[in-house]
This record gives sequence, C-alpha cells and structure tokens, in this order.
Amino acid sequence: MNKRFAALALIALSLALAACGQSQPDDSDSTGGTSADEVNLVLAAYTTPREAFAEIIPLFQASWLAETGQTVTFEESYQGSGAQSRAVVEGFEADIVALSLEADVIRIQEAGLLTHDWKAVGADGIMSTSIVAFAVRAGNPLGIADWDDLAAEGVEVLTPNPATSGGAMWNVLALYGAALRGHVDGVPEGDPQAAFEFLKAVLGNVLVMDDSARDSITNYEQGIGAVAITYENEVLVGQQAGTDYELVIPTSTILIQNPVAVVDAYVDEHGTREAAEAFVEFLFTPAAQEVFSRFGLRSIDPQVAAATADQYPPVADLFTIDFFGGWPQARENIFGESGVFNRAIQEVQGQ
Amino acid sequence: MKAILPQARLKARSPELGLRATSFAFILVMVVIPMAVILQDGFKEGAAEFWRQVTLPVAAHAIILTLWTSALMTVINAVMGLLTAFVLVRYAFPGKAILNAIVDLPLAIPTLVTGVMLVILYGPQQALGLFLNQELGFQVIFAPPGIVLALLFITFPFVVRTIQPVLLDLDQQQEHAAATLGARRWTIFRRIIFPALALPTFSGSLLSFARAVGEFGAVVIVAGNIPFKSQTAAVYVLGAVESENRLAASAVSIVLIAISLVVILITNRLLSRRRGSQ
Repeated sequence: MNKRFAALALIALSLALAACGQSQPDDSDSTGGTSADEVNLVLAAYTTPREAFAEIIPLFQASWLAETGQTVTFEESYQGSGAQSRAVVEGFEADIVALSLEADVIRIQEAGLLTHDWKAVGADGIMSTSIVAFAVRAGNPLGIADWDDLAAEGVEVLTPNPATSGGAMWNVLALYGAALRGHVDGVPEGDPQAAFEFLKAVLGNVLVMDDSARDSITNYEQGIGAVAITYENEVLVGQQAGTDYELVIPTSTILIQNPVAVVDAYVDEHGTREAAEAFVEFLFTPAAQEVFSRFGLRSIDPQVAAATADQYPPVADLFTIDFFGGWPQARENIFGESGVFNRAIQEVQGQ
Repeated sequence: MKAILPQARLKARSPELGLRATSFAFILVMVVIPMAVILQDGFKEGAAEFWRQVTLPVAAHAIILTLWTSALMTVINAVMGLLTAFVLVRYAFPGKAILNAIVDLPLAIPTLVTGVMLVILYGPQQALGLFLNQELGFQVIFAPPGIVLALLFITFPFVVRTIQPVLLDLDQQQEHAAATLGARRWTIFRRIIFPALALPTFSGSLLSFARAVGEFGAVVIVAGNIPFKSQTAAVYVLGAVESENRLAASAVSIVLIAISLVVILITNRLLSRRRGSQ
C-alpha cells in the first residue's frame, strides 16, 4: 500500500517537474507568432506609459489594418524598467521593449538579443521625455523653489533607492548634476567636493527610500514627507487624478529620456519584425506623441512640443545624461560600489 | 519525546523504503538543490570575494540590523506567545473560539498588506503615530521599531501554535497535587508548567526568528530602507539583485541561511540532550 503510494507520489512529482520544465517553450509558441491576416506582438514596458499605450495601441491597430489588412494583437507586460530588462535577457520573449532608461536597453544589447542601431530609429530611439522635478504640498507651505531648499534642516524628502529604481537614478543625477553645474546656492560650478557635500545634505533629509518611483509617490500621496523628488509626468498625472500636491521645477535639472527598441532575436524568431518595427516608428508620429503629451510626458516631436508648450514650461538649465559621459559611465562613477552615491549615503548614515 | 517513538518503530520495516525515498527526493528537489545553487553562486568567485561582499559596510550593517530586530522580536514573541497560549488553553471566556482563530490570521495575510496596515496605524501622519512621535519622541514607522512590529505580527502564530498542543496534553494532576500541598499559582507555573513548556516556547521562538530573518514584504514598506540606517538584509538583497549584483545577493543570503541553520542545530542539540536526561 505504502509502496504504491510512494510510487504514485514519485510519478506525480516527476510529472510536475517535467511540466514546469516544458512550460516555457510552450509559452513562446503561443506568444509571438504571425500568419497572413494576424500578427501578435509582445510589448515589455516600464509602468509609466501604460495609460498612454492603452490609447496608442488601438490607433496603431487601426492604421496597420488599413495599411496591410493584417490584424495586430498585443500582449502587454508592465513592470519596473530594470526588472523588465532583466526578464527579457533571461528569456521573456518580448518583440518590443519600452524602458525608462538607456542603461536597461544596453543590458539587452550586451546579451546579444538586440543587434541593430536602435538609436537610428525615430528621435534617437527616445519615444518620450520628462524632467526631474519636485512634488510639494498644496500651497507649498515650506516655500520650496529649488534644489538648495531640499537641504534645509528638517525638510523630509522622499526619493526611491537607486539600487532598485531607475527613477531614483535620474533623481540623484539631476541633484548632483545641478550642483556640479553651479545651479545650487553655495555650490561653486565644477566643484565635485562641494557637490558631494550637497548630495550628502539632501540624502540626510531622506525619510524613506522606496523600491520604485511609483511606490515613492504613493507614499507621498498618503501624506508622508514634505517633498518628493520625482518625474514631472508623475506630478501632472497625479494632478489629473485629483491630488492636490504641486509641481516645482528647479532651475537646473536632467532630461529623462525613455528609449524604445525592437528586440532582434525575438522578432526574428516570431517572424514579427515588420509589424514590430512599424509599431516603434508609429510611436514617433504626431498622433502617438500627442497621446504621450496628454499623459504628462514631454513630446520629442517639435510640433507637438510647440502646441503643448504652455503645459511644459522650459527649464533654465536642462542637461542630459551626456553631462555624465553617458549611462555606462554614470552607472560606474555615480552608482558603482564605490561611486558617489554609495560614498555619500555611507558618510551621511554611517556616522 | 513522544514523537520519536513511531519513528523508532518504523526503522525496522523495509516497505517504507519507497516512502522514505520519495520524501528524500522531494526534499532534495525542493529544498537542497535550490540552496546549493545559492551556495554555488555566492562562492563562485572564491571565499575571499564572498567574505568581502558580506563585510562591505552597507551589507554588514543590513545583516546586523536584521539580526537585532529579529532577536528583539523573538524575545517579545516568546513571552507574549507563552502567555497567549496559556490563556487560550486554560481559561474559558466568551469569544475564545474567535480569538483562537484570529491567532492564525497573520499567516494568511500577504505580508505587504501587513506593512501597509502598520503604516496606516503608526505612520507619521496618523493620529497614533503623531502622538507617539510628538509626545514621546518615538518614531515607529521608517525606523527599527516598525520592523520589530511587522515581524511580531507576521510570526506571532509560530510560538502560540507550538505551545498550545503541549499545554493541552499536559497532565494537570501534578498541578492539582501541588495546589493541594499549598503551592501558590505562580509557584505552580514556575515549577511545573513552565518546565514543560520551555522547549516548545524555545523552538517556536527560534522558528519565528528563522522566519523573521528572511522577511521582505512587510519590512520593505515600514522600514524606510535607507542604507546604513533602516535597510534590512532582505531589502539589501533586493537592491543587489536589481542592480545586477547577484554575487552580493547570494553572499548575504548565504549568511542568513547559515544563521538560521546554526540556530536550528542548536535547538535540536538542546532537545536531544533533554531527551537523554529524562
């Protein structure tokens, strides 16, 4: 009796394991794929553009159907940019990736899955932009106007953890960059030591470091902290949803650039290259750009940008990741094990 | 002590071999192999690099914070768990069945929700949190007390549920005899009841400690997660994973596993020594 039970259990176990092992190839068969009148695209994106994509995708489906007679279906996945990028590298067969920072696309390139020059598509492969800004409480009771106000004694600041959040990296780069460029009171231009001290002063005011930019803004909405360093689009979307916090744009800040690219290895495997490339190109059309601009993102299309200029005031000193020598260098120098950020947080908290 | 008897009887029989093989295979596949992968991962660049990873100030601080908050929680849990189990078993009162059921609920609640609940209750913007902070200067959320509270909530059933069955089985004749001889209630508890419950209390507490060391979901919400201040080992591991640092993630995980293993081995040793002495 027991022997039989044991044998059955063993069989059940091995079947279960075999099923686990097989499930992945099965999935890939059912996901990507194409036929004469239907094509399925897998989109792996970070969370911010979810609502915008919900409007853009139907537009693209209609235009592609009219143009080719082919119906496009989408499978969409949204999670943090870094997690999404790693999932693609580890075998999540996305035809298209839309991520929050270039470093996450570079990871897919380095894995050999993305081989074309993605920066040659559209506006340098950047589908949308935003800037690092502040959310402050209704009426701005602390009178926060610029970076130096975040270092004042007792100001509770929220910003996510750069180890887990791409958004947090943009925040730290904006803060440190503004200081290096001489746009923070009391920090001379081009003085890394003074900029480092300023970074420490702000980090000393940080109350919570959440996992992701979204968690951070959620905490802020619950009434935690006086200022949240965040993206302009997060604040604009929050205001659209009826929250009462206000947007403050500092004198100097970084331009957040969100890349999009076709993943060569997977579109070729699925035979979906044509539709995938058409979708990426569609994202750069005024029709799609207009949708992004309605969801708080600064358009890369000059005409759409001009039409929405009153909504998106210019920044006195706007710089890009190139100021730090590009993402690979920024990752190493600012966020590496002995990078600026880790040294600063250690000196602030380790005393 | 009772538990080892059936085992001893089984030993001699061979038909159970298949059963044993199944359970060994199951443990091997489900527990041992995944752990071996972590071990291999953490040591893939040698013991020196492993050691460097776990003694990095930020990692070491996270591990120490995890250990002391878990240890503090374990002590509180041991005392309060013992008390709760005693009340639930020995006293009759209205609503006892409901209270008994509530004890298990923390196991069913996603720990993330536990964290959110604690922030709502003790957060700096809430009445209770504000009172504690302003009147008593005591910050709960985004500070170690929040971590201890979250761990307490999550592991509370472990101690209660290990003590309860032992207490139910406890022969009350000795207590009655002691009472007849004039012993006071505290003396009876100290000399008769507690000795019988010490082991389940201890092993339940260690179980809760081992569970707490790896807790992530609730802690990430309430701790504040600032490196060198309020970042626990599990949250540090997440950061390491997210920033491509698998080595650091595996190395710190190995430390947590090793600590749990040592704790469990010590318990087993104590248990077997007690068995020998009886």
